Amino acid sequence: MTAAATKEAKLEELRELISEVLEIEPEELTNDGNFVNEYEADSLRAIEILARLEKKYKVEIPQGELPRMENLNAVYEVLAEFTNEQV
Amino acid sequence: MRRVVVTGLGPVSSIGIGVSAYSQALQEGVSGVSPITSFDATGFPYSIAGEVHDFDPEQLVKRIETEEWGRTSLFAASAARLAVADAGIDEDELARSRAGSCMGTTAGESQVLERMAADRLSAGYAELDPRLSRKLSAARVSQAVNRELRLTGDAVTLSTACSASNYALGYAFDLVRSGEADYMLAGGADSVCRWAHAGFYRLGALTEKACSPFDANRSGIITGEGGAALFLETLESATARGARIYAEVLGYGLNCDATHMVAPDKDSIADCIRLAHKNAGIEASSVDYICAHGTGTQSNDAVEAGAVAEVFGEQPPPMSSIKSMLGHTMGAASGHGAIASALAINESFLPPTINFSTPDPALPAIDPVPNWAKAARVDVAQVNGFAFGGNNAIVVLGSAA
Amino acid sequence: MTDTMAITGLGVLSGAGIGAPALAGALSAPQTTDVSEMFEEPLPGGQAHALADFKVRDHLGRKGTSFYDRSTAFGVVACQEALADSALEVDDENRTRVGIVLGTTAGSVKSSWDYTTETLTQERPYLVNPVLFPNAVMNCTAGQAAIRHNLRGPNATVAGGPLAMLNVLRYSRNLLNCGYADALLSGSIEEFGPQEAWRVHHAQSLEGGDLLPGEGAAVFVIESAEAVRAAGRTPDVEVLAVETGVFDPASAGSGLADGLTLCLSRALERAGVTAGQVSTVATAANGMTRLDEAEEAAINAVLGSDVPRLEVKEATGETSSASGALQLAALLARHRGGEAGDGDISVITSRDEEGAAGAAVIRGWNRAHGDNG
Repeated sequence: MTAAATKEAKLEELRELISEVLEIEPEELTNDGNFVNEYEADSLRAIEILARLEKKYKVEIPQGELPRMENLNAVYEVLAEFTNEQV
Repeated sequence: MRRVVVTGLGPVSSIGIGVSAYSQALQEGVSGVSPITSFDATGFPYSIAGEVHDFDPEQLVKRIETEEWGRTSLFAASAARLAVADAGIDEDELARSRAGSCMGTTAGESQVLERMAADRLSAGYAELDPRLSRKLSAARVSQAVNRELRLTGDAVTLSTACSASNYALGYAFDLVRSGEADYMLAGGADSVCRWAHAGFYRLGALTEKACSPFDANRSGIITGEGGAALFLETLESATARGARIYAEVLGYGLNCDATHMVAPDKDSIADCIRLAHKNAGIEASSVDYICAHGTGTQSNDAVEAGAVAEVFGEQPPPMSSIKSMLGHTMGAASGHGAIASALAINESFLPPTINFSTPDPALPAIDPVPNWAKAARVDVAQVNGFAFGGNNAIVVLGSAA
Repeated sequence: MTDTMAITGLGVLSGAGIGAPALAGALSAPQTTDVSEMFEEPLPGGQAHALADFKVRDHLGRKGTSFYDRSTAFGVVACQEALADSALEVDDENRTRVGIVLGTTAGSVKSSWDYTTETLTQERPYLVNPVLFPNAVMNCTAGQAAIRHNLRGPNATVAGGPLAMLNVLRYSRNLLNCGYADALLSGSIEEFGPQEAWRVHHAQSLEGGDLLPGEGAAVFVIESAEAVRAAGRTPDVEVLAVETGVFDPASAGSGLADGLTLCLSRALERAGVTAGQVSTVATAANGMTRLDEAEEAAINAVLGSDVPRLEVKEATGETSSASGALQLAALLARHRGGEAGDGDISVITSRDEEGAAGAAVIRGWNRAHGDNG
């Protein structure tokens, strides 16, 4: 798989995971849609997203990263940093 | 309506069991936290709690069989037994009276549940011990009090999470003042457990070493446990039997945020404070001390201080958090707070907020009574209790003099 | 009497289905459901009185509900049904005066149990789901119901086990009488699941019974009877008296019977009702011989052996903390269905293994007749 395809696949995986937490359909979640402003997320949902990432990808992401994780792209980037993957 | 007073106190806590030990610890600013022993904390990054290591129910209860009851019920029964002894009322007379109990809890018999969940993993559901299963009901937390003291009135367990003791105290107050009961034991109990420890850690609400409410660098709660009981009777009955009166219950307020399950709501809490004052028949200006909910999380303390500033203006009364000493005793927390406040009124001191080093410039100006207790006359004390589910409950106690 | 409560709305879920007619139907023709596919974990039996096909989305939509546990879903739906069934309109003028009081045994035991299990089986003990944490706490249902229906009055959860509904009624009466609230959604809930099924199984095994587990919730809109009548409205049911207490269950079996006798007598006295006026007793009979015998002894002593018994658990199974709520709902359903006469007085009795006992006296009417007291 090309790097772009890998990224696309990971984004789709994350879209699935995050939309479940936000109680929306995956296709409703855009790459740069702000979780709080556009999908009514709150701090509890944000921590839930972080917790699910940690469980699924076996990484540790400090809660200090939460403010950055405001949309799908940003979550992808944070996850990539903590799994040492190529962004 | 009859006037209702507190004539007996029964604290079972990590900083002291019984009223004199507890009062002394509050005045000395003792910390009750220590490494967790009640469950295997291996794998948890943070592993301290406010456990009551000295708790020996065999030494405290006289009637109920300790092996038939869970830890939380035993905390409740022990606290009630201490409160009755402190009140100096004849046990047989109490048992013959219209008397009952109302106890608050967050997690009920959490250690029983955890034992069952572990047994199920190792042996399966079918092999679970039916006698253990029977201990699971949270109704037993108040039933243990009635059974221990042979009380034949109400046994009510209010499971409104971390403000539950205030709910219980409020309801017991109403039952006595309306004439439904003549004596009530009110308070709460909870036990340290894995799932709460894990949940608070995962929420980012748990701190590693020391709970430092209202401090700029506060970083969360430390889970705690214990039991709290207050003995309530009418002013008339207390006076007639020459009982020592710690405080009068003036009233309480209840409301619900109805906005979020875990995030507190400043305006709603301010409303609850005003409601409590109104029901107690007092003005905000007459409050001398606030026993804060003061969990030590960024969010609670900011919201609580904000709500207090909204109601009291620029110079609110001193507001300290005994959770800095005990940890967060959950369903017993506001009961421990009510006992501390009754002692503050009766013994003229303000319990401190320990572990305090740096005032938070982001908070409204409050006096958290940093690190050392202060001598002060307290005629009216307000006990704050907030909880998951937006369950706010605030009790107002006053000097009975 | 100034301190009686009026029930002006009902929301009920039981193994028989949603609504009063389903419950009334089950009272005459009890049925069980195949529950063997409901959970991955083993159950003590394949049949129960459960709402096997219940999906919260069907009733409340997806948003805000996907992390509800079963108890929460039941409670929030029952509150919604109760509001819809009543004339109570909640708006910004009165939402701080409308509260919620819900009964339970230990919350959603499945939720706290599963949370604990995660701490024991995950790679690290703290790898739990934050969004599920509130579910593990017993006041989750009442808090979520307040959010869903935007009710800002007193919000309480009472852990009473089998006595929960009677505790809830007494607590509710106090909130109304002391002026903390003008209207309440008061009820009680129990969910079916592996933990509850096994808990019932084990409890029955200790007491020599074999009743199947059930589940359900009933929530009632409760207001001051005086206020309802003053507003020209009519109650469906008037709760005339509720008495509870705790007695020694071990004193040769008679402690509980004597205790329930006392509660029952006190309740009749406070209701201003004589034994001869009671037309039905909705009992808590559940096949636990020792407790059933104590309950029968008390009923016989106070009301005599001729008063018809309505054994609600034959229709609902063992619903623990929902028991009293379903007993009350069953009586109300009979009035709705015309099987009970207008103005008939009924009694609800309750007891548990620890010696708690209680009784309520109620009076009901058929809503269509509109001549309620």
